[in-house]
Amino acid sequence: GQTVLPGGTHYPQQLLSSKPLRWSSSSVQGKPVDINTSQDKVLLSETCVKRLREIMEKGEYLRVQVEGGGCSGFQYKFFVENTISEDDRVFEQDGVGVVVDQDSLEFVKGSMLDYTEELIRSSFHIARNPQAEHGCSCGTSFSIK
Amino acid sequence: VSKRRLLPTRAALTLTPSAVYKIRHMLQNKPEYIGLRVGVRTRGCNGLTYTLDYAKNKGTADEEVLQDGVRVFIEKKAQLTLLGTEMDYVESKLSSEFVFNNPNIKGTCGCGESFNI
Repeated sequence: GQTVLPGGTHYPQQLLSSKPLRWSSSSVQGKPVDINTSQDKVLLSETCVKRLREIMEKGEYLRVQVEGGGCSGFQYKFFVENTISEDDRVFEQDGVGVVVDQDSLEFVKGSMLDYTEELIRSSFHIARNPQAEHGCSCGTSFSIK
Repeated sequence: VSKRRLLPTRAALTLTPSAVYKIRHMLQNKPEYIGLRVGVRTRGCNGLTYTLDYAKNKGTADEEVLQDGVRVFIEKKAQLTLLGTEMDYVESKLSSEFVFNNPNIKGTCGCGESFNI
């Protein structure tokens, strides 16, 4: 299957194969896209991409899911996923992939998936969610009797 | 009837084997630090959150917990709060964290991932 233009010239397939990522949406290289162009996407931070490259095997994706629960009504859940179903959206960048089902995407679109490493905790989290009114901000909050 | 009674004394903080292992690993190549310091800070939806830092020395008001060769200091402010707490380290593919199983608390948030629309 080589595509030949009417004039007889070949489609620039060679260019594509030498730089396979060149025209894919993942060429953004970790920089957050302008909010207007990313409204129904989930962005991946550079640290998130780096971490996913370290831990994920081939064919594994990070699934981001939104569930009811937590102190503010909704909570984010993260899983390792091998299978992708029909209503999933896949966001790929630099060889790693994140899947979000359509229902969850409504709650997280436009936000950034980040990975932070601290002394006390290293984990994935959703940052700057334009849908979220205010977060809980704690992670390990508690109160005393 | 004997009046003698044994009083239970507990360490202010106990570490699980995985926490000991992790702390030892964290301090391995850092001779300038002698342990970790646990504290509490006002933050989050339920009032308080735990903090963890490297400790260069023992603070005057710190409670020192020495277990299996690793040192953990408890800040003065956190001592009452943490009394009897078990410090655990939980690691999975997607996250790794120190978890404090605290018998004194009356409510946890448990989320850190919660938000409101």
